[in-house]
Amino acid sequence: MDETVAEYIRRTVLKIPRDEIKTILQKWGFLSETQLQTVNFHQIKENISQDVVQLCEENAADIKQAAVLDIIYNHIYPNKRVWSVYQMNKTGEEMEFFDLTDFKKKFKRRLRSALKNVTINFREYEDNAVWIRIAWGTPYTKPNQYKTSYVVYHSQTPYVFISASVLKSNLPLLCQALVVASSYHDIHEMELRSHSLNSLKDIVFKRYSQNFQTYYPRPLQERNVAPENADLRIIQENRSEKERIQRVNREVFGDGPQPKLEFAQYKLETMFKSDPKMDVLDKREPFRCLVKFSSPHLLEALKSLAPAGMADAPLSPLLTCIPQKARNYFKIREKKGLFPGSFVSP
Amino acid sequence: GVLAHLEMLEAQAYEAAVKQEEMEQQKEKLARLKARVRELRLQRDELRAKVDLQQKRQLGKEEVVSDPAQPRAQAVLEWKIKSVKAMLEVFYLTGISGKLTKRGVCFCISTAYEGTYLDSYYLDLLAKPEVQIHRHSVPIFIPLEQIAQKYLQTDIRRFLSVLSDHLNAYVGRRYQADQLQEHFSDQIEGTLQRNSLCDLLVFNYNVSSKSKTFPFNVRLLYRDLCRSLPTEVVVSCT
Repeated sequence: MDETVAEYIRRTVLKIPRDEIKTILQKWGFLSETQLQTVNFHQIKENISQDVVQLCEENAADIKQAAVLDIIYNHIYPNKRVWSVYQMNKTGEEMEFFDLTDFKKKFKRRLRSALKNVTINFREYEDNAVWIRIAWGTPYTKPNQYKTSYVVYHSQTPYVFISASVLKSNLPLLCQALVVASSYHDIHEMELRSHSLNSLKDIVFKRYSQNFQTYYPRPLQERNVAPENADLRIIQENRSEKERIQRVNREVFGDGPQPKLEFAQYKLETMFKSDPKMDVLDKREPFRCLVKFSSPHLLEALKSLAPAGMADAPLSPLLTCIPQKARNYFKIREKKGLFPGSFVSP
Repeated sequence: GVLAHLEMLEAQAYEAAVKQEEMEQQKEKLARLKARVRELRLQRDELRAKVDLQQKRQLGKEEVVSDPAQPRAQAVLEWKIKSVKAMLEVFYLTGISGKLTKRGVCFCISTAYEGTYLDSYYLDLLAKPEVQIHRHSVPIFIPLEQIAQKYLQTDIRRFLSVLSDHLNAYVGRRYQADQLQEHFSDQIEGTLQRNSLCDLLVFNYNVSSKSKTFPFNVRLLYRDLCRSLPTEVVVSCT
C-alpha cells in the first residue's frame, strides 16, 4: 500500500472523535467485522489509527477507498467546512431525465479533459444528494489529497453547494464541469454562505418554517414554558403588548426552528446623515461602512430580540428577509428604496 | 490572682455562647414564622379567587335562567359556525383551498395518493400591481416558474390546476417509490436508484426458477410529470 495513502488514512481517522471511529469504519465497509473486532477502540487515538492503518495494509487499500472514508467523514461532520451556494440557469424548457451514471461520466470527462491530475470520487445518499470529492493537482504534480473541494448536488435542482477550501483558482474548472454534467447553461455564486450545510439546503429548497395564512393552522406545539407564578398580586401591565410582539414575531419567523447561519454582512454606501454643524464630512460622499452581525445561530438570535425587549417588533425587513431572499451578504445604496445588490466579499 | 481572672473570663465566654445560641434560635423561629405567614397568605388568595369564581358562576347561571331568548340565539350562532367550518373542510378536501390576505390570497394545495393524505404546499400570491408569487413552499424541482409564466397572469384556475397535477403526481411517484423500498426491500438487489422528481427509477431483482437465478434490471421512466404512472418501462435480463 502506498505510504501517502497510509498516512492519509491515519490522519483521517485521527480527525474522528474516538467514540465514533468504530461506527464510521463500519459505514465505510472496507474492513470486515472480524478485522474491526481486533482493534481496541478504547486506547488513545494515535494507537487506534496505527491499528487501522495496519488492517488497511492487509486489505491493500488504495486512494479510492481512502477518499471514500474522507467523504463519509465530511458527510457526518459537514459543519467543519464553509459552504457556498451556487445557482445554475438553463434557458428553454427541455426537462431532461437526470441519469446519475450519465452525470458522473460527463463530470469526470469534462474535468479530466481540463486537468488530468485530479482524484474524483462520488457517493450517493438517500436524500437524492450526490457528494463529489475532488483532490486537486497541477499539470505537473499528482493530486494533493489534502487540498480537496467538496460538491453536493441534488438532482434536478438548480443549486450546487460547494466547499472550495484552498484552491480558488480551480473553481472555474469545477463550475464548468458541473454545468456540462447537469445540462445547464451557466452558473453563478449566490450571496449565501454558512458552516451549516443543512441550513443552506433548507433555505434554498424552502424547507424552513414559513408562516402561511390558512384556515387550517397546524397545531402549535406546546412549548415548555414554566407556568407563570400564580401569585395573584402580580399584574401584567403590558400583556397586550407582549402578545402583539409574539404574534408579529410568529408571522415573520414562523413556528419552527430557523436555518442556522453564522453571520449577515451589510455593506453600506449611504450618505452620512449628521447635524450640519458637526461637519464630519466636508465632501458629500457616501460614508463607507460595513456592518456585520455574527452569532452561533443568527436567525434564532434575531427571532428572540423582540420578545427579549431588545428591539421593536416588527424587525427591520433587512434582517428578516434573509431566508426568503436566500442571501446573507447585502450592499445597501442610497435610499430611493433601499435595495440589496450583489456583494463580492474581499 | 490569675486563676480568678481566668475563671471570670471563662464565665464571660459561657454567657456569650449562651446568648449567641438564644439569638440563633430566635432567628430560626422568625424565619419559620415568616414562611408560615407566606403560606397562609397564599392560601388566603387562593380561597379568595375560588370565592370570586363561585360568585361569578352563580351570576352566570342566574342570567341564563332569566333570559330564555338568549340560548336560542346562541344555538343558532353555534350552528352557523359549525356549518362554515364544515364548508371550509370541504374546500380543504378538494385539494385546493385558499384564504384572502391583506395583499392577495394564500392558496394551499393538498396532495393525496390512493386514499393516503400526503403533503400540503402553500402559495402566497399578491394581487397588485399584477398577480405574482410572493412566497411559496413548493419544492424547487417542480417547474413552478414555467407554469406561472404560462398561466398565472391569464388563467389562474388553470395555473392552480396544472400545479396541483404536478404536485399530486410527484407526491404519488415518491410515495410509490418509498413503498417499494419499504415493503420489497428483501427482493431488490442493491439500492433503488431514484432522483428528486422520482421520474426515473432503476433497480435490480432476481427471479429464481428451477434452481437457477436470473438477474433482472428494471428502468422506469415517467416522461409525463403530471402522471404518477410510468410512460416507459425497460426490463432486461443482465
